Amino acid sequence: MKKQRQGLIALAFLAPALISLAVLRIGPAIYALIESFYAESLLRGGRVFTGLSNYTDLLANKDFRQAVAVTLLFTVLINPIQVVASFLLAVLFTQRAPGTRLWRTLVILPIATPPAVSAVIWSVIYRPDGIANGLLARLGLPEQPFLTSSSQVLPALIVLLSWIGVGYWMLFLIAGIQDIPGEIREAALLDGAGAWRRMISVTLPLVRRPLAFVLVADTVSNLLVFAPVQILTKGGPNGVSNLLMYDVYTRAYALGDIHVAQAEVVLLVALTIAIVAAQFRLLRGDHA
Amino acid sequence: MRRLGLSVLGAVIGLLFFIPLLWVVTNSFRPGSETFAHLSPLTWESFFELRPTLINYRDLFGGEIGRATLNSILVSAATVVVGLAVCASAAFGLAAFQYRGRGLAFGIVVLSFLVPFDAIAIPLSAMFRDWNLTNTFTGLVLPGIGNGMAIFLLRQFFLGIPAELVEAGRLDGLGWFGVFRWIYLPLSRPALIGAGLMLFLFQWQSYVWPLLIGTDADHIVGPVALANLQGQNFTDYGLVFAGAVVLTIIPLAVIAGFQKYFVQSVSSSGLK
Repeated sequence: MKKQRQGLIALAFLAPALISLAVLRIGPAIYALIESFYAESLLRGGRVFTGLSNYTDLLANKDFRQAVAVTLLFTVLINPIQVVASFLLAVLFTQRAPGTRLWRTLVILPIATPPAVSAVIWSVIYRPDGIANGLLARLGLPEQPFLTSSSQVLPALIVLLSWIGVGYWMLFLIAGIQDIPGEIREAALLDGAGAWRRMISVTLPLVRRPLAFVLVADTVSNLLVFAPVQILTKGGPNGVSNLLMYDVYTRAYALGDIHVAQAEVVLLVALTIAIVAAQFRLLRGDHA
Repeated sequence: MRRLGLSVLGAVIGLLFFIPLLWVVTNSFRPGSETFAHLSPLTWESFFELRPTLINYRDLFGGEIGRATLNSILVSAATVVVGLAVCASAAFGLAAFQYRGRGLAFGIVVLSFLVPFDAIAIPLSAMFRDWNLTNTFTGLVLPGIGNGMAIFLLRQFFLGIPAELVEAGRLDGLGWFGVFRWIYLPLSRPALIGAGLMLFLFQWQSYVWPLLIGTDADHIVGPVALANLQGQNFTDYGLVFAGAVVLTIIPLAVIAGFQKYFVQSVSSSGLK
């Protein structure tokens, strides 16, 4: 009896959050799912049920296929780079060396820059007459096209996203490293383990949990990259930087294909949830 | 010797991360016509301005970006206030009571983590259009108020509050809202600040959503206005850089002011 009453009171406190989560997160996913089964009807006006035809249209669409391939390539490149870089920087910036706190702060600073603002900043950096080419000229290297070259555009995006991302993910790993008991570190030192050996055999296994969290959260956030594409490249040149999130956006607004775009949203959400679930399973398997 | 090596390595990496920001700050004190004057090749003048001018900042605060920055501040502040009320109350419901379905309720909150907001922004914007919430502050604020991470963080903290305190409060005649308001909230300042930071940063950094829902002059937020400015044919880069500085320095000041809580919230969301 008492438990039931407690449940009701708890529900009252939970209500605003549950309603907002249901309406603002889960609702739109279901809305997209429903809309993805319909199409605008020119003859009758309004919409008609078309089953899976939006999905088959989408899967047959050349631009969509390219966007999937580009997103996969991007995912496979950026996540290992960012996770490894964050880990190495976290190790570096937890050593006792003069000035470490200051250098660490400089790496963290860019995380305050909103992604859209950093995209704007890097659009100027990457201009033909911008600072990136100025630096190359100083080093005696030839001028590079960056965003207008189909082989350089993804690396250029990865650099700008890492500029904000690496410092942020590094914070989680620094917190994990600082939680490692001092005795373990000292024991490894007494055993005569070198710096590299300590990092691989002591630090790495002990920050497995924050590392797995960073990998999951980073993968999901990189799957949804939008601002740099929309601001810098518009998916170009020739669609080689057309990441899925931008593809959904152009399909919905530039092409006006809202129902097909909803089908794409459904696939994107499903893919995201699958990645998160798979990675959490990996994590759990690791523990057993 | 090894320490010196590490220090040099750290310095090089730190400076590489810092160069873009330094360049942005320098150019914000330089007329837009001179942005690209000292770049080929780089010299010390690329990063230092001997005759700084405030003209970009004057133009900024008198113009569209200034207004957009105010909109960002308003939207973020409203998100923090309403969001904290919603999230803290939810966390209380998940932590302070024993009941069947507690696990289920927590599961729903976790599910909200898994549906990433940007992925569902397009269908949600279609729904908001039907509800006439386009170009309203309500429409901009609403998606930020229910934040799974913030609820998670607050719940963790609330679970540590001893049951005896609650019982004592109940015996003194406090209702459940009283327990929440006069026992849980005052004891949870660090978690509330950490959650408030999450709510603030989510809203301040958002771009997809305000681009979809609020682009008229009265509701446009800073990042969207800055991106518009950059996309024009004859861009005044001095103004762009001044805008970038302002939009970065505001969250930076907030993070720096609450640094301790920021790091705490980061570490507890990653480890638990």
